[in-house]
Amino acid sequence: MDAAAAKLIGAGLAMIGAIGAGAGIGIVTSGAVQAMSRNPDVTGTIQTNMILGIAFAEAVAIYCLVVALLILFVF
Amino acid sequence: MSEKVQGGWRYGKARWVVLAAIIFGLFLFTGFFGVGLGIKPIMPHVFLPGENLTEHPMFGIEGLYLTNTLVGLLLADLIVFLLAFGVFRGVQSGKLTLTGFGGAVEALLEALLGITEGTAGKWTKQIFPWFATITLLVLAANWSGLIPGVETIGLVHHYEGHGNELIKVGPFQTIWDNSHAGEEAHGDYAIVPFLRPVSTDLNFTFALAIVAVVMIQVLGFRSQGVGYLKKFFNFGTLFSKPIFGFIDMGVGLLELVSEFSKILSFAFRLFGNMFAGAVLLFVIGSLVPVFAQSLFYLLELFVGLIQAIVFGMLTMVFMSQATQGHGDEHHEGAH
Amino acid sequence: MEALGLNLPFLLVQIVNLLIVYTVVAKWIVGPVMGLLEKRRATIAQGLEDARIAAEARANAEKDAAKIVADAQAESSKVVREATERAAAAGKDVKAAAEAEAAKAREAALAEAELERNRILGDLRGQVAALAIAATNKLVGDALDEKKQHALINEFFSGVKAGKVVVVDGEFKGESAEVTSALPLNKDEQETVKKSFGAKEVSFKVDPSILGGLVIRIGDKVLDGSVAGKLDGLRQTLK
Repeated sequence: MDAAAAKLIGAGLAMIGAIGAGAGIGIVTSGAVQAMSRNPDVTGTIQTNMILGIAFAEAVAIYCLVVALLILFVF
Repeated sequence: MSEKVQGGWRYGKARWVVLAAIIFGLFLFTGFFGVGLGIKPIMPHVFLPGENLTEHPMFGIEGLYLTNTLVGLLLADLIVFLLAFGVFRGVQSGKLTLTGFGGAVEALLEALLGITEGTAGKWTKQIFPWFATITLLVLAANWSGLIPGVETIGLVHHYEGHGNELIKVGPFQTIWDNSHAGEEAHGDYAIVPFLRPVSTDLNFTFALAIVAVVMIQVLGFRSQGVGYLKKFFNFGTLFSKPIFGFIDMGVGLLELVSEFSKILSFAFRLFGNMFAGAVLLFVIGSLVPVFAQSLFYLLELFVGLIQAIVFGMLTMVFMSQATQGHGDEHHEGAH
Repeated sequence: MEALGLNLPFLLVQIVNLLIVYTVVAKWIVGPVMGLLEKRRATIAQGLEDARIAAEARANAEKDAAKIVADAQAESSKVVREATERAAAAGKDVKAAAEAEAAKAREAALAEAELERNRILGDLRGQVAALAIAATNKLVGDALDEKKQHALINEFFSGVKAGKVVVVDGEFKGESAEVTSALPLNKDEQETVKKSFGAKEVSFKVDPSILGGLVIRIGDKVLDGSVAGKLDGLRQTLK
């Protein structure tokens, strides 16, 4: 197999990890929106924590992106 | 404000403009009923690092070339400085409300200040300038990529074998897709744009991330003194409570690792979002040259704002967490 | 790292640039905007405070006004009440005065009438005496001389004989006495009556229905020395 083609396939496979992050962000947001609709008074606190949680979940996807970029452009 | 929206630029007029633009796009890019120009859109080459605009490094420093992202940085700086000038002038005039861009900045900052006050409490004064700086600078950098001409106008570079044909249009030159059906395009030229949004340069995002994480530690030390280090080197309970002490130590070391991973995730989150956004616009523009890109422009506008606020807000939240420390040891900082 | 575009000079340039931007933003955007927000907050708070003070002042004014109105009402009702009372008192005074006046007038009239009657009866006394003497002369002849007859008549009518009240014997004295005679007593007789009782105050009344003699009331005692009383006693005895 051509090395360039393997790189592309590898980068694509690396990005599979983003699935988990996407599901996690969805769960976090769903919970936060439910909480906000039930208790609108603490919307500000929930929003901050939601974004924090999303950031941690997204970090995983970002590691995937880093790996993909490394595969594509560095190695 | 709403009455201004009503006047002059009504929906009824705007849709004809949109229709005209679509027809003009069809005329340019398709063989539209035999009268179109049939220009084939070109997918630009994607470069991860900023492209050099000069042959030689600046000031004789090794590696410091004038890149298009550096020009983008100057553009973002210029926007921020102009906003600062406008806001400063507006405030100096003594009015209670600002107008124009100053008013927009003020509205944004007021919202951000509300979030900061809810999270950071008494450290708002120290934390909020970082939040505001990062948000404004990143917002300027992100949205500067949406200005028409950025990433499209630039120098022609010789790019042996992988480029396109060069043609002249009046006094300007442009690359031209000379491919025919079933053939690869061939030529020796590519365009290096003068301007590229600086948030698609890893140096910029890493600089922001490093400064943010360093300032998080600085604020932690300012609020808790040397006790801040206990968060990372938690050996206090190692011998009194054998198992949980060991776990505590492990958690502290994980915290230390997570501080470094913060740099990575900060930097790559912004870079990834903006770089992917730019590539997305390229791809959509080359696949469907008419109208579709407009929708993705709107998406990029949204993503740019969200990423700017998220970067600033995460910095703010981490900073206020550092100032609060653990619940049991509550040192009153130098304040 | 080179492939990712990371290199140290650029990184340093970016960091320095970020610090410059931070300074500019902190000085010229965040500072003024925070000052502006603070000022606006203060202005709004001031406005609210002013509104609150104005509302308070208005409430106070309303309270004052209500108090003034209540005071005025109390004052007016007091004045009305006083006026009514005064009018009632004045009316009562007037009525009392009028009644007193009327009573005085009636009393005066009564006294006048009494006096008049007494005078008339006094005038009659001489005539009655003359008639009686004449009648007696007719009955008993001229057995009695004129003077003796007169004395007898006088004695009969006045119950006073030879400077002495006939009906009184022994100690019969009191502070005030009421003496009723058939015909008015003359001055000498009155003196005699007064002397015999030693009473400070003696009122004289005239009542022809007792025919003669005297009826004397001292305190709660009545001494009937009247001819009518004697006749009555005689009639009781004869029955």
